[in-house]
Amino acid sequence: MKIIHSQLQKLLPGLKTSPQQTANDLTLLGHFCAGLEKKQKEEIIDLEIRQNRADCLGYYGLAKELSVLHRLPLSLPQYPQQKFKTNPVPITVTSPNGVQRLLACTLNQIKNSPSPPWLAKLLTLHDINPINCLVDLTNYIMIYWGLPCHAFDQGKIPSGLVWEDSTRSQSFTTLDGTVLNLDPNTLQIKSDSNIVSLTFIGGKNSKVDLDSTDILIEMAVYDPTRVRHDSRQYKTITEASVRLDKFLDPNLIPLAFSHLISLIETHCQGQISSDLFDFYPKPTQTLPITFHPEKVNLFAGISIPKQFSLTTLKSLDCQIKKEKNYSVTPPTFRPDLNIEEDLIEEVIRFWGYQHIPTNKPISSRKFKDITPPLVYFIEHIQKILISLGYDEVRSWPLISEKQAPKNKKGLVYTENNINNHFPILRHSLLPSLENQVYQYQRFKVHPVQIFEIGKVYYQNKKGFQEKYQLGLYQPNLSILDKNLRELFKSLKIKPSCPSLNISPPISPYWEIDLEKLIKFAPAKLTKTPAFPNPPQTKSYELKKQIITLDANLILKEKKSQEKLLKIYTRKIGERYLWSLSITDIYHDPQTKKYKYSFRASYFNLSSAQAKKIHLKSFNLV
Amino acid sequence: MLTQKIGKEYKKNIKNSSSFQELESLRVKLLGRRGLLKQAFTDLKKSNPTQKKIQGQKLNKLKNNFEKLIIQKTKELKALKPLASTLPSSPTPRNISQSHKFGHLHPITVTELEINSIFRSLGFSVYDGPEIETDEYCFQRLNVPPDHPSRDLQDSIYIRQPTFLLRTQTSSIEARLLKKEKPPFKAAFPGRTYRNEKVNKSNHFIFHQYQGVAVDKNISLKDLIGTLDTLFKHLYGPKAKVRYRPKYYPEVEPGLGLDLVCFSCQGQGCPLCKGAGWLEMGGAGLIHPHVLKIAGINPKKWHGFAFGLGLDRWVMAKYQLSDIRTLLGGNLAYKPQEKTL
Repeated sequence: MKIIHSQLQKLLPGLKTSPQQTANDLTLLGHFCAGLEKKQKEEIIDLEIRQNRADCLGYYGLAKELSVLHRLPLSLPQYPQQKFKTNPVPITVTSPNGVQRLLACTLNQIKNSPSPPWLAKLLTLHDINPINCLVDLTNYIMIYWGLPCHAFDQGKIPSGLVWEDSTRSQSFTTLDGTVLNLDPNTLQIKSDSNIVSLTFIGGKNSKVDLDSTDILIEMAVYDPTRVRHDSRQYKTITEASVRLDKFLDPNLIPLAFSHLISLIETHCQGQISSDLFDFYPKPTQTLPITFHPEKVNLFAGISIPKQFSLTTLKSLDCQIKKEKNYSVTPPTFRPDLNIEEDLIEEVIRFWGYQHIPTNKPISSRKFKDITPPLVYFIEHIQKILISLGYDEVRSWPLISEKQAPKNKKGLVYTENNINNHFPILRHSLLPSLENQVYQYQRFKVHPVQIFEIGKVYYQNKKGFQEKYQLGLYQPNLSILDKNLRELFKSLKIKPSCPSLNISPPISPYWEIDLEKLIKFAPAKLTKTPAFPNPPQTKSYELKKQIITLDANLILKEKKSQEKLLKIYTRKIGERYLWSLSITDIYHDPQTKKYKYSFRASYFNLSSAQAKKIHLKSFNLV
Repeated sequence: MLTQKIGKEYKKNIKNSSSFQELESLRVKLLGRRGLLKQAFTDLKKSNPTQKKIQGQKLNKLKNNFEKLIIQKTKELKALKPLASTLPSSPTPRNISQSHKFGHLHPITVTELEINSIFRSLGFSVYDGPEIETDEYCFQRLNVPPDHPSRDLQDSIYIRQPTFLLRTQTSSIEARLLKKEKPPFKAAFPGRTYRNEKVNKSNHFIFHQYQGVAVDKNISLKDLIGTLDTLFKHLYGPKAKVRYRPKYYPEVEPGLGLDLVCFSCQGQGCPLCKGAGWLEMGGAGLIHPHVLKIAGINPKKWHGFAFGLGLDRWVMAKYQLSDIRTLLGGNLAYKPQEKTL
């Protein structure tokens, strides 16, 4: 939701804070400022409005918030009382569950024109294209009050309008010309047999243009779930749908609708030609909530004066009655206030979370340790494996059909996974490790010895199951065998134990069920953490293949290998050097010189760049 | 100021360290450029001359002690035989040897362990829960209304069986914890979560969260904010600036969002924080009374707080990763150690 600071000041003439300060104030009230920019000499604040605060999807709601914060009065638009005629509005509503409230009337003798500059500029700053004065006024009212409304050219809807749930498939062309194929049970607005609008987007066949003289305007609040369902189903998100798919206040409609009529009368010379149609089968009401001001302190953990609580709630338009306790009835534009905790939150919100001390953490008193033994056990395995030189990887838990076992027994399929090539939750860690090794080979990372501790998934008679496995990859089988022995020795588990039944590895990939293994682990490894101080790690994001180049250096005398490596590491620079090693030293008895063979690997460089650095560093140019 | 208690604790940790990595991590924490001692010396500048002299002597003594201890421990560790070598037991004909090589933990694991360690010091247990979840634990028990957008197919990844899905948040573990354990308790839990999002440089359908829950009598927002601030100050130093603002989450009331001053631009605005100067780190709040009630916990007697932090962007910034896919993508690698003949 974008707001122009100067427009906000029109509703709150006493607001003297800078745009930056207003943005901060709104953020600290819970409306996160995602950006502040200057356009056409106006300061625009971009706010993220939360799902439960639809009342703040317009200037009115946000001004109300600031008026409570700064205890400033609101200045609402003034206009003369509107006089409606006796002619009925030709509207029928056959979907009483879909429509919560609908106000409508007709106006004639309209003189439509392009919008005045102030209106066109305002809408442009809100990223809404100006169309013509009538349409733009409906959009203006939407961003002012947060309530969408729509104008129909009456000449294009001769038999009036019907709000109904569709019973058959039909196509509908939106204002921007997009054709939607509507399914049955879509809430729609029809004239004769034509669909002229949906709840959240108007139709091309009834649109208002510069020639329109007689119009029907309406403002409605619907069942938000219906609007969300319909707009998502037809993948059409509009400024109207963003508002209508939330809980809007039907009781605010008369105020906003009168404002719209007065603006049309002023800017398009329109005259009311009908009665006011008001469909409101179940008027919205809010229930009183018992409020204990002392609970505010309990929840906040600090002392907030009772008077502040009561004044804040009163400023929010809550009705307060003093009974045994306080009985607080929230206004209908705040459907998010339902229980006492909601009222407490309001008080703390306006007091300011920033006034709660930050240096008093929860007491470090220990309760019963409810850590599952497997959590400790996994930490100990991680510690042993890194001490054995293994690097940890984490991979996708989803695999392709090709990687799944042929019999497909017990596999868990996802219904709507984003990547159709990987629809199955892995039954084993080995396919994931294979993918990882393949990736490392692509990037020419070697030598590789890796492990992963992760979940595998399957289903059986008991339903969906998941368990932790350990997977290892080491290309040299004798090293793998030795490492496994070391692992079991450190875990104090005998791999020869018949119930474990571990045989020497026959493949570079090896895995074991940790839930099975833990049964043989000593208590120390399942009851204490392994890392009082977690180790540091330094990892790199590879974007290109590693380039490996050799260099020979002839030296007059023998030198320390460590020193040489240090010198050339510094010369090449850590930024692109992946690894450096001395692969050979040859002493020529004839020349009495020493030949040192170096192998340098470079990362995130093209081969030409790597070669350039290599030649320069080893003075080979 | 580095207190005697902390000093003693670190001395004990140095003595108990079982690996070079552990020792190095302690050295960096204590004596590194941004270490505790450096910070203590910086803070000392603000003190009056008398205090400066006394405290300065104390700190120098502490520094010398730490240095001596670390040197001594390094010698002890060198004298120990390595646990194992990655090389074959028989030497190659050219007699290639290699100093002991340590492997690496994944940056997500390291971050989780760091946070676990902080919460353990505050008396929390580390908990776990299933990834394949039911609608009940993922939504119903967390007060998520039936029409909430997160329940849509567009947002959640469902299993081919009605009402089962891959957990969209680690709060599902919270729902299980509340049902299973009797208060009072404190638990923290890292975990993998899933959402039906298109994968690109900054979004992934798999991501990592860190959640914490405490249920006790008289728990307040002050406890929650103080706990979260302790966490961030441990991770980012005593000057880390965190902002707490109201935010709506169905499972908490009151709810709050927490932002950290962008560690890349220090609040000036940069591409990482999209110009806002703040990075959104997660959400928190006091557990909603309905959530406690559904779990069979009396909300009149017990209060609780819960928080959830997104780990991926955090880890990306810390490890200078430009693409979220790297975390699970196979191109995250660790440099091998130097090799000599």
